[in-house]
Amino acid sequence: MTITPELRSEIADLANAYALAIDDGELDRWPRFFASDCLYKIIAKENFDSGLPLGLLMCDSQGMLQDRMEAFSKLNVFGPRSWRHMLGAVYTTGSEKEISARTNFVIFETLAGKDTHILCAGEYRDIIIREHGALKFRERLCVYDTTMIPNSIVRPI
Amino acid sequence: MGEAPLSWPDGNDRVPYWIYTDQGNYERELEKIFYGPVWNYVGLECEIPNPGDFKRTQIGDQSIIVVRDAEGGVNALVNRCAHRGVKICEQDKGSFSEIMCPYHQWTYDLKGNLQGVPFHRGVKGNGGMPADFSMADNGLDVLKVHVRNGGIFATMSDKTPPFETYMGNRILGYYDRELDGRSLSLLGHSRQRIGANWKLMLENIKDTHHASLLHVFFVTFGLFRVDNDSRVEMDDTGLHTALSSIRGKQELNDGTAQMRSFDSNLALNDPSLLDVVREFDGDQTVVMQTLWPNVILQQQSNTLATRQIVPKGPNSFELHWTFFGYEDDDEEMTARRLRQANLMGPAGLVSMDDGQILERTQEGILAHPNEQGVVELGGRGTDDADHMVTEVALRAFYKGYRNVMGL
Ligand code: FES
Ligand SMILES: [Fe+2]
Repeated sequence: MTITPELRSEIADLANAYALAIDDGELDRWPRFFASDCLYKIIAKENFDSGLPLGLLMCDSQGMLQDRMEAFSKLNVFGPRSWRHMLGAVYTTGSEKEISARTNFVIFETLAGKDTHILCAGEYRDIIIREHGALKFRERLCVYDTTMIPNSIVRPI
Repeated sequence: MGEAPLSWPDGNDRVPYWIYTDQGNYERELEKIFYGPVWNYVGLECEIPNPGDFKRTQIGDQSIIVVRDAEGGVNALVNRCAHRGVKICEQDKGSFSEIMCPYHQWTYDLKGNLQGVPFHRGVKGNGGMPADFSMADNGLDVLKVHVRNGGIFATMSDKTPPFETYMGNRILGYYDRELDGRSLSLLGHSRQRIGANWKLMLENIKDTHHASLLHVFFVTFGLFRVDNDSRVEMDDTGLHTALSSIRGKQELNDGTAQMRSFDSNLALNDPSLLDVVREFDGDQTVVMQTLWPNVILQQQSNTLATRQIVPKGPNSFELHWTFFGYEDDDEEMTARRLRQANLMGPAGLVSMDDGQILERTQEGILAHPNEQGVVELGGRGTDDADHMVTEVALRAFYKGYRNVMGL
């Protein structure tokens, strides 16, 4: 089973819809992009390249995604800001049953009253499956190159 | 009009804001503190397990190479070629058998000794170094190193007391509790830049009561709360602090009533985050140590980490987190540490708040060098406390800081 052009555009839609949900601040939608059995991890390239497991943020269940989303929305203390995900083209391999995808990203962050800066740059390394008819991330690794995170990452990326 | 700049108010219960913003003061700090008689934390042995392994780090503004030599010893070398000053090592970490400067290929061994100078004896009888050129006098600058139970410290001064004297018995006791001599295993790094003065990071850990107010996550799940049994202990200088605490029963009382952010109805969908296993002797579930001048050694539940503070001028610092476990951890324990690491770091459920609030502190004080902060919670003294409703560790810290800085 190869990846058809239709499937390819469905995958691109998933990547874009994900980024927009976050940039639009609709974090309650975030967990729904993931499969019921899932792994989400933001990991520094230095750890990824050295085979070190530490994530900047790691959720390995729907429950953890939910808890994170609630913490970001209600518990953590941070100032107002806007985010823009800039995505590269999605590069897909694998089969329809289990799609591997790689997508470059840059996130611009604008804090109230300050200059826009780059929060981080890196790539998504995804494993995508179909669950109940819809494409979902079974695994989404956000491998970031940025050596020094400017202060904090206050949302999922 | 405020008082004249660069003066310190009477007593230890006020802290002037110019110490966080003044460039001249920052430069004096580099000389008197980071380049002075202190033990700077520079890393963990598990980051450089094998001969030739190195990591690059920083002391004050200076770039430092920490490298393990063929005999297994750990060396700290200034990352500056003895020839013309080139920054020799650009990689953050790696492995080398010798150190070679790319510019004119002077080579050094892993202890920093100069080994080779191209054209030393000239070419076809021309040039070369003078006959009295001393290889021995032209090595890399070498720092004195002390390794204790896997933690690596370095100093640039010959006046630095022995490490044990420097830390004092009481702090050493806490240090050895976490770094107990077992081999450590490296889990990874996180790095962030925070637009605030470096001392505010130490203060943040010494300021025990903010955690019950700022960090809703801590409060809600009882990991660290003002009504928990706690101790705040200092060494004789007041510069090192160990804060220890025991996770409470999350009861409602006059403490929780005063925490506006407290919400007893919150619960985790996936409680595995708080699947904490007791792994040390004693009842403490948290021990946070601030070791003067540049590291926080933390045990919060099962997350073990060092946070190295790298100052970047008066208004900014970098925080380099190194998370670790023990080599004898089973898979389950490693998974637990990695899950709990979600509390910490630049996206930490808890630590995120600190990065944000420190930057806001700097922004708040930037234009007001002659104003001062209030540190009167728990009185005006500097003695140890058996609770955390106190700013005593800040008062003790600034007593020590004034001594070091001659203020
Ligand atoms: S500057 Fe390093 S060899 Fe010349
Ligand atoms: Fe904090």
